[in-house]
Amino acid sequence: MSLRVSRRNFVAGGATLLSLSALGTSALAQETRLRLLWWGSQPRADRTNKVSQLYQTKNAGTSITGEFLGWGDYWPRLATQVAGRNAPDIIQMDYRYIVQYARRGALAPLESYMPAKLNLDDFDKAQVEGGSVDGHLYGVSLGANSAATVLNTTAFKEAGVDLPTQATTWEEFGRMGAEITKAGKRKGMFGIADGSGGEPLFENWLRQRGKGLYTADGKIAFDVDDASEWYDMWAKFREAGACVPADVQALDKNDIETNTVSLGKSAAGFAHSNQFVAYQAMSKDKLALTNYMRIKADSKGGHYRKPSMFFSVSAQSKSVEQAVDYVNFFVKNPEAAVLLDVERGIPESAAMREVVAAKLDENGKVALAYVSGLGDLAGKLPPPPPAGAGEGELMLRNIAEQVGFGQLSPADGGKQLVTEITQILARG
Amino acid sequence: MSNAMRTPAGAISVESYQGAVAEGRFRRLWNANAPGYLFLLPWLIGFFGLTLGPALISLYLSFTDFDMIQSPRWVGAANYVRIATADPKFSAAMHVTLTYVVLSVPFKLTFALLVAMALNRGLRGLPIYRAIFYLPSLLGGSVAIAVLWRQLFASDGLINAALAQIGIEGPSWISHPNYSIYTLVALSVWQFGSPMIIFLAGLRQIPQDMYEAASLDGASKFRQFYKITLPLLTPVIFFNAVVQTIDAFKAFTPAFIISGGTGGPINSTLFYTLYLYQEAFGNFRMGYASALAWILVVIIAIFTAFSFLTSRYWVHYDD
Repeated sequence: MSLRVSRRNFVAGGATLLSLSALGTSALAQETRLRLLWWGSQPRADRTNKVSQLYQTKNAGTSITGEFLGWGDYWPRLATQVAGRNAPDIIQMDYRYIVQYARRGALAPLESYMPAKLNLDDFDKAQVEGGSVDGHLYGVSLGANSAATVLNTTAFKEAGVDLPTQATTWEEFGRMGAEITKAGKRKGMFGIADGSGGEPLFENWLRQRGKGLYTADGKIAFDVDDASEWYDMWAKFREAGACVPADVQALDKNDIETNTVSLGKSAAGFAHSNQFVAYQAMSKDKLALTNYMRIKADSKGGHYRKPSMFFSVSAQSKSVEQAVDYVNFFVKNPEAAVLLDVERGIPESAAMREVVAAKLDENGKVALAYVSGLGDLAGKLPPPPPAGAGEGELMLRNIAEQVGFGQLSPADGGKQLVTEITQILARG
Repeated sequence: MSNAMRTPAGAISVESYQGAVAEGRFRRLWNANAPGYLFLLPWLIGFFGLTLGPALISLYLSFTDFDMIQSPRWVGAANYVRIATADPKFSAAMHVTLTYVVLSVPFKLTFALLVAMALNRGLRGLPIYRAIFYLPSLLGGSVAIAVLWRQLFASDGLINAALAQIGIEGPSWISHPNYSIYTLVALSVWQFGSPMIIFLAGLRQIPQDMYEAASLDGASKFRQFYKITLPLLTPVIFFNAVVQTIDAFKAFTPAFIISGGTGGPINSTLFYTLYLYQEAFGNFRMGYASALAWILVVIIAIFTAFSFLTSRYWVHYDD
């Protein structure tokens, strides 16, 4: 048996294919296609796609293809696409990764489009600065958020414990937690989540001591004493039953669904303000937002308003200008702002903030009020974290677990954290 | 071919004559086999393009520093040296993976064999039972099952609810560093379907008259199993053991889902492949991850070679 394709048929078939592909290219030539990639859940996707549709109706000849993944899958996908010279035109970017991507030449500098194409005049200056690396603008902030404590107010009330205020210290908060656990109104519920492995918490606590996680030149910005005291504070909470035991905390996969507040295992937990709407949606109880506690009554500046995420434009994009136009539309168009709400954080543009504030629902208002009411608790934006910060975060959690499960003393834990992070940073 | 035959031998050199003959033979073989190759083409493209090509590229990358954005930079054997001398996470991951392999493979095979023997008694509706028992293997690698496992073995999971009935207050098995690996071993044993099907087929190959003769001679059931079933089943056991060992070394999904990609608590579920994934896609060290991958290839190859070398002492082939 043999398969035979006559030369004539082959040529005819090939010609047909060629003409078909020519049709394809001529259609392409007429419209600009932009690809957009972001991480997030379905509600965020719905909002984003609506904005893209709105943009397309106002800009005939531009089509936008959006694609989204969960946080964990997002970074492998983006790295693979960038390595394969197949990066999306518009990339949702995080404060943690913007330096890495910008320094490696994967992102297009945007300052030359300002202000004609990209108008960030009514943005908070510090937040614009947050998207800059080495003097070039690589990301436009899509909203501001801040780290926050989530409180299950119903559980606090049942236990007869008052809610913490902006003046509450960690020590007092620990006593509240122990009281809630002791009250035992709900089976398996403890006072507070074990935050010893949470990077935003540790950072906030360090900032109140006048330190930080990393310096601007990518070195470690805290010492053994800081880390040991931190682990020690949580060890005491654990002992007093103020926070959940280590094996319960280890169920937390660092997402909304497995947070101990969502699982009903603690009355207080730790999150970011823009996630409040999603937290409330997961809980039957009434939730509230408050700040991270103070170390002493007069310690301040632990919090900061953080660009929750950016839009960056790929350096590989064939239509950078069009992509910039889309980004500008995304952050400056009132209709888009209403569609987006505060799901990506509080809008950075003063005008858009007004538009959104007028239409917010109750949960949205909680997040807005929280971020704008931080007062002296908020300080300056820290420098963007260096490469290796992701590993450092895992290490903080790993050692917190070793202390939590009693395999390390808080003092040794502190020593080990500093040694390990120094090594990670040296390796880059 | 026919042209070469007509040319006088003296007119051309011996080499080119032989070359022409070889070329002719090649052409004849090609003509005969071309359709076959044509049909193989999809597989050949897949093998060279998607398996062999990337494997060779990863071998090259294992000698480089590659962050996926900038071009790879040649660093010689530095990655391998670091793995061998200065990487505590490598030894942690190796320890977890070996524990997993050593526990899960024997338990899974034993369990699969027991179920296969139970099903081999001429049950009515055997295909249905077979399908039901096979089901976990189809679902096993999936995200949903890993999530189910969290529900079973969490602090307020089903297992602890059962233990509470007899007055035991269990820990959160899946998130406790002392127990988490065993919950993953249990998950693997539960997916006994595919070795079971193969055992079942093997059991059916054993001639019934051997058992009849043995019972006439008064051999007990246990003795029959030990003297007839096991020896005649050794080729199937060998096959299953090799396949399951390789699979166990490559396990990834359960640990990834259950620990949220961290390998925690305290690296207790840091499977080798999970560590490799973290290095590649979490820390953008594609070169280092490639070196880790090649070390895994070598380890699996050594294990497999060892199995084959020892097999002649215990595997019984009929012919």
